[in-house]
Amino acid sequence: MASRTLAVWEHRKVVGLLVRRDLKVKYQQSVLGYAWTMLEPLALTLVYFFVFGMVLNADRGIPEEAKPYGGYILFLVAGILPWTTFGAILSEAPRAMITHSKLITTMKVPREIFPMATVGTKFVEYLLTWPVLLIFVFAMGGRFTWEGMLVWLPLAIILTFVFGLGVTLFLASVNVLLRDVERLTRILTRLLFYGSAILFPAALVLNADGVPGWAKTIYELNPLMGIFQMHRTVWFAGFEELTPSALALTSAVVGSILMLIIGYWTFRRLEMSVLKEL
Amino acid sequence: MASTYQAAVSGGPVIEAKNLGVKFAVNRRRKRSLREMFIHGNKRDPNAEGNDFWPLRDVSFEIAKGDCVGIVGKNGTGKSTLLKMIAGVLLPDEGKVSVHGKVAPLLELRAGFNDNLTGRENVYLVGSLHGMTEQQIDERFDEIVDFAEIKPKFVDTPVRHYSSGMKVRLGFALISQLEHPIMLVDEVLAVGDKAFKRKCYEAIDRMLANERTMVLVSHNEKDLRRFCNRGLYIKGGELALDTDIDSALAAYNDDTKVEIEERKKKDAAKKKRAEEAAGTVQAEENATGPEAETPKDDGKDGGQAA
Repeated sequence: MASRTLAVWEHRKVVGLLVRRDLKVKYQQSVLGYAWTMLEPLALTLVYFFVFGMVLNADRGIPEEAKPYGGYILFLVAGILPWTTFGAILSEAPRAMITHSKLITTMKVPREIFPMATVGTKFVEYLLTWPVLLIFVFAMGGRFTWEGMLVWLPLAIILTFVFGLGVTLFLASVNVLLRDVERLTRILTRLLFYGSAILFPAALVLNADGVPGWAKTIYELNPLMGIFQMHRTVWFAGFEELTPSALALTSAVVGSILMLIIGYWTFRRLEMSVLKEL
Repeated sequence: MASTYQAAVSGGPVIEAKNLGVKFAVNRRRKRSLREMFIHGNKRDPNAEGNDFWPLRDVSFEIAKGDCVGIVGKNGTGKSTLLKMIAGVLLPDEGKVSVHGKVAPLLELRAGFNDNLTGRENVYLVGSLHGMTEQQIDERFDEIVDFAEIKPKFVDTPVRHYSSGMKVRLGFALISQLEHPIMLVDEVLAVGDKAFKRKCYEAIDRMLANERTMVLVSHNEKDLRRFCNRGLYIKGGELALDTDIDSALAAYNDDTKVEIEERKKKDAAKKKRAEEAAGTVQAEENATGPEAETPKDDGKDGGQAA
């Protein structure tokens, strides 16, 4: 285990190379490269703002006092941008090993670096969403707080990518042996999108009378719900309705670490069969 | 197995294989459903016994520094599998292989090239993946391009516009620049036109003169005799012989001859039976007329089964 970690560390340059290659290939082929990747979340935000914000009044979950600080629009953008990244991780995770089968079967490197490179690429792309997010923050009057910047932001980013790496390690290895996983993931991604309260404050579900208590507990146990709540708390620190509850916070932290452990364990266990199948 | 060549070279072996074995499951995925896998774990695995296929088993050998070892054998006897295990890209189910020193794998020359990147970008990418520093690639870049015979104007063209020959030449040019002490070569000498082939031979000769170790899998006897001083003959997934290359090739050729003879005999027998069957069918057709289709099919099946 320790020697393996060391081997991965020694190959960190290779991870960097693979990330750079992926970004290069992605952005050099279209003129508008970067603009395209931003256009999709922005178009989605627009649609969701009309449907959920104006028609279904999902913005009623935003406390009155939070409205001057960006309100529902900033809430949406701050959730959808990291979700786009996370959704991209989920959609590419099952192929993280298969697309590199040629390299894996001819070069001796620790195999973990391929899922790591996939997640690394997404991390860079996530950083690239920040200019757009900042435009919204300034335009809508979002505020910077110490609590948001020093507690919730690092926590949200670290947990997102710890969870993402765990999922990628898991899906990348399992999908080599059972290709059905790829399709299953697509459906699950959809479910998780609604299950993680991206479009409305989680309080809307948790305070709803029509939802039974056990369903609320399950809802809060979804680590992604807490994680994506944190991404918004960065801008709405201090509002209790928009801050993860103790249960959501715990399940986010424990769930992410657990996912990484499960993912890595599965990856190592299946490694021998994966190499034979590739 | 004791090798006479080991004594000649001082120092320990650079490649050491002990009781190496690898197994593949036959029809694994079809016979085992998701439900069974999760609910019953390994207990109900239909492949737990009997259904395994060992392409390679109980193989032990040592290769000393400076050796050039040729691996010969029929198709599908595990030669490439063995090479992959030495390269560390396939993990053995049994036994152990230890390799002392970095390995330059010439298993698939185009591996790692990304079609959307230019030749230059690919050289830097794949070179770094194999452990070359940027500075080393800078120094050798011109040499690589020159060796690969790629015109300067194509260097900055995406590799997808290259011909397959160009890609393979670039791959060989790059990998032959690696200074790793161990080289694993899988049939790649068969690439390129005559002139390029000659250059490849010279490059390999140069590398071998440098006290490097090479393991070569090939069906080309001329190549094998030219480079190798030792031969491993693999037969039916087992190491049948570990001697000099000429004896290994001789044993392989003898076995092949025997096999061809046997096949000839079989073919002759099959032909004879088919003729006989046709004869009886003819006779029956004459007797029963157009309804005699079934015996005709039987006759055919019998011929094939034999």
